[in-house]
Amino acid sequence: MSAESDTEPASPAAAPEPEPIAEADGEPGGIAAASPTTRSLTRRRVAPAAGAVVAVAAAVTAAVLAGGGGGHGGDSADGKGATATQAADGLPHTAIDVSTGGCGRGWGHPHAGTQVFDLHNSGSAASEVYLSDPKSGKLYGELEGLAPGTTRQMLVDLGSGTYAFKCLPEDTDAVTGPSVTVPGHQPQGAATLPVTQHDLIPPTLAYQQWIGARMGDLARGTGTLKADIDRGDLAAAKRDWLSAHLVYERMGAAYGTFGDADGAINGTAARTPGAVDDASFAGFHRVEYGLWHGQPAAALKAPAAELDKNVGALRDGWSQARMDPAEMGLRAHEIIENTEQFELTGRTDYGSGTNLATARANLDGTREILSLLRPLLTPRDPALPRLDSAVERLQHDLDAAGHGDAWTPLDRLGRAQREQINADTGDLLEQLAPVAAIFDVRRTA
Amino acid sequence: MSDTRDAAGELRRRGFLRGAALGVGTVGAVAGAGAATAALTGPSAHAATPAPAATPVAAQDAPFHGEHQAGIIRPVQQATAFLAFDVTAADRRELTELLHTVTDRARFLTAGGTPQALGITAPPSDSGTLGPQVPRDGLSVTVGAGASLFDDRFGLKDRKPLRLKAMPAFEDDDLDPAWCHGDLSLQLSAPHQDTVLHALRDIARHTRGGMQVRWRLDGFTSPPRPSGTPRNHLGFKDGTGNPDVGDPATAGKLLWVGDGAEPAWTTGGTYQVVRLIRMLVEFWDRVSITEQERMFGRAKDTGAPLDGSREFDTPQFAQDPMGDVIPLDSHIRKANPRTADTAGSRLLRRGYNYDRGMDGNGNLDVGLIFVCYQQDLERQFETVQKRLAGEPLVDYITPFGGGYFFALPGVRDRGDWLGRSLLA
Repeated sequence: MSAESDTEPASPAAAPEPEPIAEADGEPGGIAAASPTTRSLTRRRVAPAAGAVVAVAAAVTAAVLAGGGGGHGGDSADGKGATATQAADGLPHTAIDVSTGGCGRGWGHPHAGTQVFDLHNSGSAASEVYLSDPKSGKLYGELEGLAPGTTRQMLVDLGSGTYAFKCLPEDTDAVTGPSVTVPGHQPQGAATLPVTQHDLIPPTLAYQQWIGARMGDLARGTGTLKADIDRGDLAAAKRDWLSAHLVYERMGAAYGTFGDADGAINGTAARTPGAVDDASFAGFHRVEYGLWHGQPAAALKAPAAELDKNVGALRDGWSQARMDPAEMGLRAHEIIENTEQFELTGRTDYGSGTNLATARANLDGTREILSLLRPLLTPRDPALPRLDSAVERLQHDLDAAGHGDAWTPLDRLGRAQREQINADTGDLLEQLAPVAAIFDVRRTA
Repeated sequence: MSDTRDAAGELRRRGFLRGAALGVGTVGAVAGAGAATAALTGPSAHAATPAPAATPVAAQDAPFHGEHQAGIIRPVQQATAFLAFDVTAADRRELTELLHTVTDRARFLTAGGTPQALGITAPPSDSGTLGPQVPRDGLSVTVGAGASLFDDRFGLKDRKPLRLKAMPAFEDDDLDPAWCHGDLSLQLSAPHQDTVLHALRDIARHTRGGMQVRWRLDGFTSPPRPSGTPRNHLGFKDGTGNPDVGDPATAGKLLWVGDGAEPAWTTGGTYQVVRLIRMLVEFWDRVSITEQERMFGRAKDTGAPLDGSREFDTPQFAQDPMGDVIPLDSHIRKANPRTADTAGSRLLRRGYNYDRGMDGNGNLDVGLIFVCYQQDLERQFETVQKRLAGEPLVDYITPFGGGYFFALPGVRDRGDWLGRSLLA
């Protein structure tokens, strides 16, 4: 995580106040701009602090970054330690200068293998440092937010080829150091092309539109649910609750943008006794709790009306929403993290026993965002076929638990079936984690 | 899922191995305190960490490669995790990938070194809980196969070891199905708990699609109190009477499978029995010392047999035919009557204490992860178990889980892998 965008060079301890990002309003396509190195997005949909209100998403992001980010305050100490313990890791070390005038200076004896560069920022501004292949543009290593006067380590695995350090001081153009050739015929280590904010604007816009198209379905769904309850048809309400809820759960990549609305529409109650009766418990799960715990229609009219009203407001406001492009890669990964954490544990079950249906809807949402990212992902992730087959396998095994509207509740899964779904989910998550890493938005110039 | 082979012909980035995160090189032994080793050392440089004086608990490094898995003969270590897995791999090819992956991870984790640098392509390849370099720290990784692995899924029906079956319930057992059996067993042991947990996290991360934990119990070995064999939760020294498997002739008679009746692939392996035994320590603490000692047949303080004065004195059952000194139904007398007829039933015990919190009635949930190895399940463990049926000690213990496994033959070299002789 980086504190690059908002940390004063002289005070690496993170500044508490958010600094609006200068170009936040100037991006084409109506997309909220974020720091190029933004990664500390709110990574949880259920966390109470997930309230990145749509219009100010970028600024909030910056605040989160500043507060919780890299913990780079100890850089000086780390730098000294690195020098002192240089030999202890058993790896070859090379001291490299990071500055506008001397970017990459010091690489006198290039060699293949796993090695450490001790990067020292001799300039006056915090800098990002990349180790790149200047021809292909692939990055072999990165260090974000190297504070002036500090030394930090970059561990890389280098094969034979040509490399150059790239120094990107804050508020200054990037500088590429001299090209250095590692001789021999050693296979090259892991590397990929960086993704820029510009790259992500088309898929982000397309995703925003896809969500917009789902908004109508969602509003119709909650409207039907409300009507069922208003006329006292609770059997129909149970059926229509599920279909409306699944529409919402398919929109998984957008929760950060929904902000507080997500808590009102899909929040859960605390575990404490009586929490389900608290007036603050609202939305789909409140209605679910009532429908599956024998509450009369009269008791559910108000929660259903409130849900429908909140969904309507979300739909009406969506045209003004701006998704942060930096969210795309994170959400591609984290929808399924949420599935594992909240659905496969049953934490979000309030009686319907439809966690696996929700998981299946979440997987649809993941598929959608992956399909939009695919043109960028294909040249960057050689394991994409593995990822695709992991998606297919989880889908297949979730589908086996669904029978039309009837889904096997978690606690009725046989052991083998449960283990298979856990295995599929865990495997898929291991495949998705690199997607978030690759789509960490990077500066290139 | 496709296998790709690198220049060396080794399987890499296979199905369950997302990052192909084979570590780099081997860092010299960091296990010993103050081992400020710097240079890269080859895998053969097994810098022996000196065993702490006056402890029978293992602290030596054992090489990963060999005819047998290193963790079997090796004495118990301070920390362990015992797990049973169910295989979720879809077919024989995926099972093969899984065992390749487990082997690769075990090879790296037991050797130590620098985790692979993945640059910007992925999260870090290692959890970092042991620091930036993974110390070898005496880790052992022991893998076994349960009878269920030889069902219809992987075409291994005709390769099942002769004696392997699902562990039956014995007379005094109260087995919980959730804590029994499994397609594979995995035991991780090391001098430190963080090393064990690091290894578990690493192996699980690389095998999520291929296997899922069915049950897991962590254990520990107490230091000698004050000397000799470590004590169990009942306060008695446990493991005193183990056969000397460091003697190849003894090991050949009691431990390693390799005779003609077993499938050829089993050579170098051994049967592994694990029994999860709850000890009712509150009840035990309310029993007089005389009764406790007569149940075991040993003195609680020294560990000596009741007819001797030192822990390693040999009990002379023949001179006490009526059990006046060591009762006929005492644990040591039932377990090992020390006659010519029963010599072949001796087995190698490698048990650990466990502590997993509290029970609903407010009592400590503690006990023993009893692990033993033998050449023949029926001739050894089952025979001993039947002799022990109804011993007075059963009132204070409750076996609730475990299983029978076949500890696979060792990984002979860098080209070999766990289960090769079974699957290739």
